Amino acid sequence: MRILLAEDDPMLGDGLRAGLRQLGFQVDWVRDGMAAERELLTGGYTAAVLDLGLPLKDGLHVLQALRARKNTTPVLVLTARDAVPDRIRGLDMGADDYVVKPVDLHELGARLRSLVRRSHGHVHDILRCGSVLLDPSARLVSMDGEPVLLSTREFDLLHALMLNAGRVLSREQLEQQLYSWGYEVESNAIEVHIHHLRRKLRADVIQTVRGVGYTLLRSREPA
Amino acid sequence: MKLERSQSLQAHLLSLVLGLLTLVWLGAALMTWSDTRHEVDELLDGHLAQAAALLLVQQTRADADDVVDAPSPHKYAPDVTFQVFHNGQLTTRSANAQTSPLSSERTGFATVILLDGGEWRVFGMRDDENDVQVFVGEQTESRDEIVWGVIRNILVPLMFALPLLALLLWWAVRQGLAPLRQLSQVLGQRQAQALEPVVLDKVPTEMQPLVESLNALFERIAKMLAFERRFTADAAHELRTPIAAIRAQAQVALGAGTDAAQREHALQSTLIGCDRATRLVLQLLTLARLEETPAISSASVDLSALAQRVAADLAPTALAHQQSLELEATSPCAVTGDELLLGVLLRNLIDNALRYSPDGARVCVCVATESGQAVLRVEDSGPGMTEQEMAHLGERFYRVLGHTQPGSGLGWSIIKRIVDVFSAQVQVSRAPLLGGLAVTVRWPATT
Repeated sequence: MRILLAEDDPMLGDGLRAGLRQLGFQVDWVRDGMAAERELLTGGYTAAVLDLGLPLKDGLHVLQALRARKNTTPVLVLTARDAVPDRIRGLDMGADDYVVKPVDLHELGARLRSLVRRSHGHVHDILRCGSVLLDPSARLVSMDGEPVLLSTREFDLLHALMLNAGRVLSREQLEQQLYSWGYEVESNAIEVHIHHLRRKLRADVIQTVRGVGYTLLRSREPA
Repeated sequence: MKLERSQSLQAHLLSLVLGLLTLVWLGAALMTWSDTRHEVDELLDGHLAQAAALLLVQQTRADADDVVDAPSPHKYAPDVTFQVFHNGQLTTRSANAQTSPLSSERTGFATVILLDGGEWRVFGMRDDENDVQVFVGEQTESRDEIVWGVIRNILVPLMFALPLLALLLWWAVRQGLAPLRQLSQVLGQRQAQALEPVVLDKVPTEMQPLVESLNALFERIAKMLAFERRFTADAAHELRTPIAAIRAQAQVALGAGTDAAQREHALQSTLIGCDRATRLVLQLLTLARLEETPAISSASVDLSALAQRVAADLAPTALAHQQSLELEATSPCAVTGDELLLGVLLRNLIDNALRYSPDGARVCVCVATESGQAVLRVEDSGPGMTEQEMAHLGERFYRVLGHTQPGSGLGWSIIKRIVDVFSAQVQVSRAPLLGGLAVTVRWPATT
């Protein structure tokens, strides 16, 4: 899951980025409101952690601008403003969650996963597709009850496909979801990961839509 | 007249007015008494003299010891007496008259005590040609009765009028004090936190200043409270971020696993975060103390010597970052102010310059006297500030964008506050020599 972190405090930003990476998130970090808005409108992030007291453009205004442009990226507002009117305003302006500093990293991770799950219309934490189960918090995958060992990238790729089960994701979209800034993405990286996934799971789990991208067929069982 | 704290204004006014009224009335009675007394004396003395003259004219001659049993035509008659002497012999007297002469004064008025023990006013008159001596006397008691009668006529109505007046005055004063009562009622019914202005239906002219200054006070307090509230909120806000950073870094260190470099970095950051939170708390405390007490001191402090001490304290920090800290303070420069406060000012100015300048930068502290004014200037070769940033400076918790150094903007608030206490002027500009930021503090010229 690729997260945009908008936080102007150098030390907190550094800590959150490192901590969220430890939890398996891909994190890009911006330090002002203008950059946050620009990245969120173009970047294809799974979710965003937004500080409110950002320089250049206040977090709430960024949120407002996003929602005005029909951008539905789940946004978790992380702020030191804890007054009830502030929280209400934040949620009313389109925040999906509101967390007051200081926050536990694991809680932040759980809230982000929950945001992403809900934004994709899933109710349960554990995703299911046919006989494949994926537990985002434990980062475990199993098939037919047997655990399957996946690399970080493979897990993230499967996670993205399962979250969007029934929809076709292009290679570019998948790359955006998988890689934070600063990674040289090789042109065939996604194909390689798909190949490995098919080998580790079953060949027919992931479908290729030629010239468009990849998809997972939605399971008939209730999600 | 001092008003006791617990005494009611109404009772005070009432007793004052009633007391003064009684005093004036009694004064009038006293004057009337003395006036009446004088008039009555004159009148009755005139009558005595007249009576004596009549007697003298009528007494051509008479037999010895001729007691005239004079009829009592008036209730005052027994109080009147007379004697007539012929050739030294008592010839005629009233029934109540003694045989010896009424007075030793042969002519004119005299006040004597007679044998019956009463006080009498006696008038003597003589006719030397026929050797006739006449005394006419009148008891003074009857005069007193007349005077007292008049005084009674004045005092008795007062007895009845006073309670009635007291009642009427009580009502009148109560009516007069109604606006005050309304004000105290309005104030009494307010919530402790209510700071909106007092609005009364009709405010008398005398109470206008009271209500106005009361409302002004409420406004000031409301402003102060709002300021305090904002400050507390801002301070809490500002403290949360470093604590959140410490927490995040500590969790990163815990979750680093085999990544020793990451753990090391996270732990270092945790320590730096603690230092930062400590500095913030210290700054908040300094600011709170500054706002509590203006700390006015009239001691004379040598700015040059103080700058030297503070610069010496901060030099190790500068050297650690390969920054050069220079002091230009050749001659003593006396300013009025508290030494401790001046030290805080200098420390904050120099500390800010060092903190916001990169490694290897130059910071110059200059103390001088320019046209009678003591001037302190701290310049650095750092990145400086744009006009816009300079305008924002002084807003609490304003931070310059993109600074790697965490700050809260509180240092500047402290500087502003201290400069205000000294009634000095502070100015931020581009450093003419070093190219970074220059902060100039100018003390008022000493006369």
